[in-house]
Amino acid sequence: MEKTELEVKNLKLTRSSNWTLNVPSFELRKGECLVLFGPNGAGKSTFLRVVALLEEADRGQIYYQGRLVTDGNRTELGRRAVYLLQKPVFFKGTVRDNLLLGLKFRRFESSEQEKRLEAISHLFQLEPYLNRSPFELSGGEKQRVHLARAFIIQPDFLFLDEPFNGLDVDLKDLLLEDFSRIRKSTGTTTILVTHNRDEAAFLADRIMVMIDGEIVQAGPVEEVFSRPATPDISRLLGHETLVEGIAVGEEQGLLKISAHGQTIQAYGSAQPGQRVILTFRPEEVILTKDKPRTSVRNWFYGPVEEIKSFDRMILVSVNCGFNLKALISRASLEELNLQAGEQVWAGIKASALTVAAP
Amino acid sequence: MSLAELLQITWLSLTVSGLAVILAFLTGLPSAIYLYFREFRGKRFIISLINTGMGLPPVVIGLFIALLFWRNGPLGFLQLIYTPAAMVIAQFIIAFPVVAGLSFVAFEQVEVELLLQARALGASRFQMIKILINESRLGQLAALIAAFGGVISEVGAVMMVGGNLKGYTRVLTTSIVQETRMGNFTAAIYLSLVLLALSFTVNWLLTSIQHRGETKWKRPNWK
Repeated sequence: MEKTELEVKNLKLTRSSNWTLNVPSFELRKGECLVLFGPNGAGKSTFLRVVALLEEADRGQIYYQGRLVTDGNRTELGRRAVYLLQKPVFFKGTVRDNLLLGLKFRRFESSEQEKRLEAISHLFQLEPYLNRSPFELSGGEKQRVHLARAFIIQPDFLFLDEPFNGLDVDLKDLLLEDFSRIRKSTGTTTILVTHNRDEAAFLADRIMVMIDGEIVQAGPVEEVFSRPATPDISRLLGHETLVEGIAVGEEQGLLKISAHGQTIQAYGSAQPGQRVILTFRPEEVILTKDKPRTSVRNWFYGPVEEIKSFDRMILVSVNCGFNLKALISRASLEELNLQAGEQVWAGIKASALTVAAP
Repeated sequence: MSLAELLQITWLSLTVSGLAVILAFLTGLPSAIYLYFREFRGKRFIISLINTGMGLPPVVIGLFIALLFWRNGPLGFLQLIYTPAAMVIAQFIIAFPVVAGLSFVAFEQVEVELLLQARALGASRFQMIKILINESRLGQLAALIAAFGGVISEVGAVMMVGGNLKGYTRVLTTSIVQETRMGNFTAAIYLSLVLLALSFTVNWLLTSIQHRGETKWKRPNWK
């Protein structure tokens, strides 16, 4: 994962007076899976279509394996990449016809086509469906055909626009695992667009957050998820609690922040007197009825305002002068026997807090 | 009317109308492809012209072609008036907007995402056109059926530019008019039946091609 496979410089595409895609620089390394993460309308799909050479930017340069694409034949260069639309669309004919289409476009020998078809249909478990119409398949099967027709080409680059959208949870988990395994075994350099945090965390070698047409943060998944650069990114990544405070000083390498009449300790830097925003993910919060003696430095006390039940977890809102959100398991809720209105302690480690300028 | 004469008239009807439709297809389809893929000033105006052309009365086209090929007309030196060639030209002008207009509509019915996906899978421009035509096959054949139905049954234009000359430019429709005028209703009825049979056969063939490979009708159950 050292060699730069795809490079973008000074890319700009203006869609309307108040929306511009602006990517001053971007690099993708060989074999890497980069996840483009961001809210709807952030410009993720547009960026993907531009780098896949399906849409032209107003200005900027795109390099495929060091070669400037505007210097070459776009069809020929574009054939090094495969872009899959969010919605799987199929052409008239059978699953086999649809799988072979990309190879036919590239005029592969029929013996090679058959060889690859056999391998890919085995890999994606599509053998029983080859002679059926793709329109007769279920959602998950369609999605597998959709992905398989990209992998059969063995492209240098794979650009995927929310390929796991609209699938039910079990099927999605399976497909995500299959996709990750196949992608790693083929070593295909990939950009994947999603606005699903779990997908991003599961698949990405590197994550790039995009908001309003700009790349606002990029880095390894762990880093971006644990240290979002701005409150907007924090919110996007699920850091549902935001606390505004004022830096008061440092002690033992920890920044002390005064917020809502309490002193909060966190890792970060700010000048004394500077306004800061603290964010943290709800799953980092510990809830308890009695304040325990632990290494956790920050404890807040307040009444439970709301208990919301989700698929696998429970979201508890606590009023600690600010709205604190904690995500706990069902078992923890039963053990605590929490009710709305009850007083509770909420603890959070200094290392789980992110400090950002407002 | 002898059998030989009937066969000659039928054959001429088929070749004149068939040739006109083939020419209309060969020019109308590329025109529709161009209109579909390219953006240019005046595109809407041209589409409106084509749509208007679909409803032009054949006699108006007949008059226009007759004036053009008349001995003193601008193209009179070609000596095409009252020839089968003039009839093909007149019918081509009737068929062209039908083929171009309906093909364009058929292209617009194809999901844009499908073409984008084709391009994203590596299709060249030519391969995208092939995909577009294949995906709109039903509409293309509907255009051919409409064009052929329009010209085989038309009488005004062929009468005006062909002149209904016996053994030379007489076709089924002009014969029917001629026999009716002369009070030979039996002959007129037989000719009409031949025309209907011819029209049905060609349309049946085209419809069979249109629905080839369509094993499942993706429609809601009516029960």
